Amino acid sequence: MTDQQRDDLRHDEVGAGTTTGLAAPSVDVTDTRQNSLWSDAWRALMRNPLFWIGGVLGVLFLLVATFPGVFARGADPRDCSLSNSKLEPSAEHWFGYDQQGCDYLANVVYGARNSLIIGALAVVVILVLGVTVGALSGFFGGVVDSVLSRIADIFYALPLVLGALVILRSGSLGRGVVAVAIALSAFGWMTAMRLVRSQVIAVKSADYVAAARAMGASNSRILVRHILPNAVAPVLVYATITVGVLIAAEATLTFLGVGLQRPAISWGLQIDAGQSLLRTAPHLVFFPSIVLTLTVMAFVMMGDALRDALDPRQRS
Amino acid sequence: MSTAWTSAPSGQARRGPGPILQVDDLRVQFRTGSGVVNAVNGVSYTLSEGQTLAILGESGSGKSVSAQAIMGILDMPPAEITSGRIVFEGRDLLTLSAEERRKVRGPGISMIFQDALSSLNPVYSVGFQIGEMFRAHRGMSRRDARRRAVELMDRVRIPAAAQRVNDYPHQFSGGMRQRVMIAMAIALDPRILIADEPTTALDVTVQAQVMDLLKDLQRDTGMGLVLITHDLGVVNEVADDVAVMYAGRIVERGTVDDVFGNPAHPYTEGLMGSIPQVESTGGRLRPIGGQPPNLAAIPSGCPFHPRCPRRRLGADALPGRHCAGDVPPLRLVIPGREAACHYSEEVLGV
Amino acid sequence: MARYVARRLLLAIPVMIGASFLIFAMVYALPGDPIRSLGGDRPLAPAVVAELRDEYNLDDPLVVQYAKYVGNLVQGDLGTDFRGREVSETIAQRLPVTAKLTLVAIVIEAVIGVIAGVMAGIRRNGFLDNVVLVSSTLVVSIPILVLAFVAQYVFGFQLGLFPISGIGDGWYSYLLPGLVLASTSLAYVARLTRTSVAENMRADHVRTARAKGLPNRAVVVRHTLRNSLIPVVTFIGADIGNLMGGAIVTESVFNLPGIGRAIFDSVRQQEGAVVVGIVTLMVFVFVFFNLVVDVLYAVLDPRIRYD
Repeated sequence: MTDQQRDDLRHDEVGAGTTTGLAAPSVDVTDTRQNSLWSDAWRALMRNPLFWIGGVLGVLFLLVATFPGVFARGADPRDCSLSNSKLEPSAEHWFGYDQQGCDYLANVVYGARNSLIIGALAVVVILVLGVTVGALSGFFGGVVDSVLSRIADIFYALPLVLGALVILRSGSLGRGVVAVAIALSAFGWMTAMRLVRSQVIAVKSADYVAAARAMGASNSRILVRHILPNAVAPVLVYATITVGVLIAAEATLTFLGVGLQRPAISWGLQIDAGQSLLRTAPHLVFFPSIVLTLTVMAFVMMGDALRDALDPRQRS
Repeated sequence: MSTAWTSAPSGQARRGPGPILQVDDLRVQFRTGSGVVNAVNGVSYTLSEGQTLAILGESGSGKSVSAQAIMGILDMPPAEITSGRIVFEGRDLLTLSAEERRKVRGPGISMIFQDALSSLNPVYSVGFQIGEMFRAHRGMSRRDARRRAVELMDRVRIPAAAQRVNDYPHQFSGGMRQRVMIAMAIALDPRILIADEPTTALDVTVQAQVMDLLKDLQRDTGMGLVLITHDLGVVNEVADDVAVMYAGRIVERGTVDDVFGNPAHPYTEGLMGSIPQVESTGGRLRPIGGQPPNLAAIPSGCPFHPRCPRRRLGADALPGRHCAGDVPPLRLVIPGREAACHYSEEVLGV
Repeated sequence: MARYVARRLLLAIPVMIGASFLIFAMVYALPGDPIRSLGGDRPLAPAVVAELRDEYNLDDPLVVQYAKYVGNLVQGDLGTDFRGREVSETIAQRLPVTAKLTLVAIVIEAVIGVIAGVMAGIRRNGFLDNVVLVSSTLVVSIPILVLAFVAQYVFGFQLGLFPISGIGDGWYSYLLPGLVLASTSLAYVARLTRTSVAENMRADHVRTARAKGLPNRAVVVRHTLRNSLIPVVTFIGADIGNLMGGAIVTESVFNLPGIGRAIFDSVRQQEGAVVVGIVTLMVFVFVFFNLVVDVLYAVLDPRIRYD
């Protein structure tokens, strides 16, 4: 790996937030000596309080999204009665009522489901797109790389929220959960692509790849068995953190009016509705905000902990 | 407390018959998460004017750490100098304040490192970095410092010095970069130059040029040269005396011809024996068996005993000279030769 | 150096063209009715529809449409909104507000972020280091949307320290929104600076600087800082994209009449042309700023200049 490649790789990893900058890139995880990477990482993760906090929050979020009825204490988010409008939190109704008189706890709880679906869907698409394009680009180099990198550059010029906003606004995708997920992945795949591409380029020129080739390994075998396993670590870190980013982005897009629409239940919609009542009924904005923040925090913390655990330089 | 060497050129520094550097029982430990690492375990040597002392050893033998301890550039946690004296120009460097030690670095003792590309700052020109010596220690102006930098680049035989003074390190070849490092190191006419593996990263022909340069400079200035290396060939070509290090200790010391010709320590013997001979065809290479010692768990007694083909254990050993139990002191074996082995005389064949 | 700048410029141009095409495609070329893109759900009289089709060349083949679109762009014609105002005029009016907000955010992010990062990085694992690490993780987790409301409520309504909306108090009105906008980026800059500094302090060239007997200040400032700032500068450039997205939210919450707020309003009011026009401008600004950052990077790091 040349110095330039090393620098580019570090540049991309730092940009993606998957490294603290101290990691020496291109650790060969398929080398038997390095098989301890994952077991070392697991042990380091277990020791990290951030991972535990994030993990607990993450599991909680998953449970809330999967079994909203339990956490809503049996209340129906759509069972609204105007006589309850804007009632403050009480022992019976922990989050009070919203402007329409619906139980707010139920609404916030049911909002988790949409966020989870969008976050998960978008991150999967981003990974599939990013890994495929990045691997092809890095492995084949030449014209393929130039074209694909230029395309990525063009998409990069549209920041996530702006790009998703335009495409959702145009209405071509519709307005549902899938639409939002696609819009987000359309403008979020580039960093994953660059990350994988740099890893592939860095590893491609390594000695053990030359050795494998000399032993007659085919391109696809080299790609799958030697190169991609090395790219897994930073991409995993990136994917974890990105779920959090995507959930926040969905809430933002919905708040701005281009994401999910009523009668869907989303934290973004709740915050938007509560906006004008911030002074008099702040709980309308704050309850969904707190839950949204805790959810994002879960993924950011887990991603951070994962990054520290996988960073070879942090391990002695 | 004299501050003679911050302002006076070397000619006025003390020139006496005694050694210019005296290291006495230096011990350095590292406190790491997984325990205490004994990197240097009682190193003592002296260096005279104009002398080239080679410190020979494997990675992990403590040779670089002891040099950095002399320079005072070790990271003090986690490193800790637990005992010893380093006497330079009449003062024990370990008793000086950080500021006083800093003033010794550069004008008194200087050091060059193995990888010149990473050892030079990539964002400043070589002229700037060489000139720093003059600006920081002699208070020269930028223009004067730059002029002196060009002179130095000439002196270390960098072609077209005046045109290249504003170039950046990455624009030079490996050998030229090492010359830049040498230029920085000799800028203020230090009395001692410590070279830590200066040629390991270079091609053989470039290696020879750089070593020639160092010897010539040494002849001109009379500075002492401490050459740290694991390359037996370089030691043979360039050094007057050699100190062989193992597990943080010096295990043999003497002139290069004597030590290489007739080793007094099994480790040195093993090193000599592992050199492939041009004449010998067929046969196997003879490495030293076993692994280098774990400095966090140095073997008891003689640290080399697990790998030593001559070790005497149990009933074989003479009283007080049990290889696994008694630490052999570094002692005078024959005139001009010291070795840390209970059975050096046998190794020598005397 | 000149060659480097020229090459970056040459690379930036196809990116801008491509990005404008991408925007065009999203609005006019995807399946669905472009009239909906422009006007949303509002009921439009057939005459108005015909006018729209004419103005945006919607009856022409796509290639011609795009050509005319670019032609208009280059002349600064970004279309008109449904109230008859030129989009470019709206932008011109509102741009200064967003510019000031972004400027405040960048200054806060760069200055506080770098200072915090340097102090944390110099003494790795010290108290300050851990404070920076933990707080940056927390701040990064809080979406700007949430932070904006919290800040407005706590510092505006409750404590009354800052104006809660509008630009009536001159530069002071930009302080709280700027801080909110900068928050996530600030955390990233601090972390990045911290690692960069910590790594550089252990670098070989710093060891050499110490071996040369240079005073500590020179070692830290001259030999560590400049090297450490290189990745930070690149990050700030790339991060401007996030600032632009965040500006929409911040301006909306704090009611600052900038182009971000204009996007927010236009989405509500189904003014497609305004949204597209402003986003196009933002993209161009983003690409331009990245070019500037690339040049700055070359100034800081001579190794790049000769690529």
